[in-house]
Amino acid sequence: MGLAVRGFLGLVLMFLYLPLLAPFSAALSDVDGHWSLAPLAAMAADPSLRSAIGNSLIIAVAVGLITPLLALACAQAVRTLAIQRSILVVVLLPLFVPGVSLGVALAVSFQVFGVIPSLATMVTAQVLWALPFAFLIVLTSMASFDTVLLEAAHTCGANRWQAFIEVELPLIRQGLGGAALFSVILSCNETIRTALVQGGNNTVATLIWSRYQQVGLGPELHALMALIIFLTLGLITALAVLETRRGR
Amino acid sequence: MTPTARRDPLALLALCIPLLGCALLVLVPLAVMVTVSFWERRLIGFEPALSLEAYRDFFSGVRLQVLFRSLGVAGLATALMLALAYPVAFVCAYRLPPRLTRLVLFLLAVPFLVNYIIRTFSWAGLLARNGAVNRLLQAGGLVEQPLDWLLFSDFAVYMGMLAAYMPFMVYPIWLSLSTIDRRLVEASWTLGEGPLATFLRVVLPLSLPGVAAALIFGFVSAFGEVAVPVILGGVGYQLLGNTITSSLDVLNYPLAAAMSTVAVLGMVGLLVLWLRLFDLRLFLGRVMGR
Repeated sequence: MGLAVRGFLGLVLMFLYLPLLAPFSAALSDVDGHWSLAPLAAMAADPSLRSAIGNSLIIAVAVGLITPLLALACAQAVRTLAIQRSILVVVLLPLFVPGVSLGVALAVSFQVFGVIPSLATMVTAQVLWALPFAFLIVLTSMASFDTVLLEAAHTCGANRWQAFIEVELPLIRQGLGGAALFSVILSCNETIRTALVQGGNNTVATLIWSRYQQVGLGPELHALMALIIFLTLGLITALAVLETRRGR
Repeated sequence: MTPTARRDPLALLALCIPLLGCALLVLVPLAVMVTVSFWERRLIGFEPALSLEAYRDFFSGVRLQVLFRSLGVAGLATALMLALAYPVAFVCAYRLPPRLTRLVLFLLAVPFLVNYIIRTFSWAGLLARNGAVNRLLQAGGLVEQPLDWLLFSDFAVYMGMLAAYMPFMVYPIWLSLSTIDRRLVEASWTLGEGPLATFLRVVLPLSLPGVAAALIFGFVSAFGEVAVPVILGGVGYQLLGNTITSSLDVLNYPLAAAMSTVAVLGMVGLLVLWLRLFDLRLFLGRVMGR
């Protein structure tokens, strides 16, 4: 590998990673620019922030449970039914619809059908967004599964359900886990679609967004952003390390 | 194929109900949005009608300019993203050992997992008058006064979009590049073509399906972007995305629906074009293993 290639990739990665350090200086200093933990304390004392964290957790769990199951059903349908192309187009469509348009479509629909914005409407918006990704992940893991094994299970007297639970599920479990993890991550990140159907509820992401638009960002929100970056990167690193260990 | 499932009505039902649910969840809101775009706005809410008022509102005056500007900004941003994403994908497909390729592709995905609103705020912090970039430039003696066109400018908006969506564009291009049969490249060399001609006449044409997918993806994202123009463009920087949300803020649902409908139609048009030009199965072949 040439020096130029290495330098080029290094620059690109720096371009992506260095900005992530920016909130840390604002999060760990007071108004005069000295080191301080005051922003962190202000963050911990903010009651609307606490309820936002609670909402984020509930929504993330719901999205992480619902999305992989729907993705699994759709992926199984791709293998079983003769309408592969239609299924692919419909399930992948939200990838090609601008986020704000999807949010508007949902907000207007809820309004027309008289659905009051709640955590459930926020979950709906996020499931819709996470589904294409979860679907692709499950589909990938199912591709490496040989359906001859299902035939073998049927020959041994298993019905369709038993064959799925006892033969296929253990082999595609990792894909389902990956889909769930990815759905949770997308749920924590989703902002624009969720903000359009949030009603009076806030997730951490929509709270930061609406505070910025209403009053601007205070030190406590910089502390929050730094904490989120820290936790996200920490979690990913831990998972990556676990994954490489298991690979060996 | 598992023929047993087709013969088993219960299994078929177990698949069809969630599938139908997903289809309804995706298609119904879009259909409602298109419908409402023809409705009329009332003081409180809106009521059914068959009116072009919302479209007239959209296509007259300042909002039309916003549409054109959004198309222009999204187009240029997508071109910039491609200019960076293609070399990265090329390097990953041809110049790195497989282990490093996986690592680089992984590292490209990680920032995407950090909330993009937060990433965009981080850029605002970097580019501000007293931000790290200006301090670095001043400390290095490159500028005397802090540059004030770094933030709240076109420059900042393009930087924000580049950082937000460029990594996404690497994957489809890499997928296309890495499925090219190496023997074709070797054949080109054997027939006496140099590296540049081989790239232009063999590799580049064969990678076009991935490039097109990446272009659509980048363009859709940049075109519908809301946070970047608000945070990095500053007050009064209007792109279609934040114009739509602000019309929703004043509860003008038909107008928001009409603008969204135009945006979605444009994107679906691109998608259909792509499906016509390239075989979907060729592209998904790797994902689906067939």
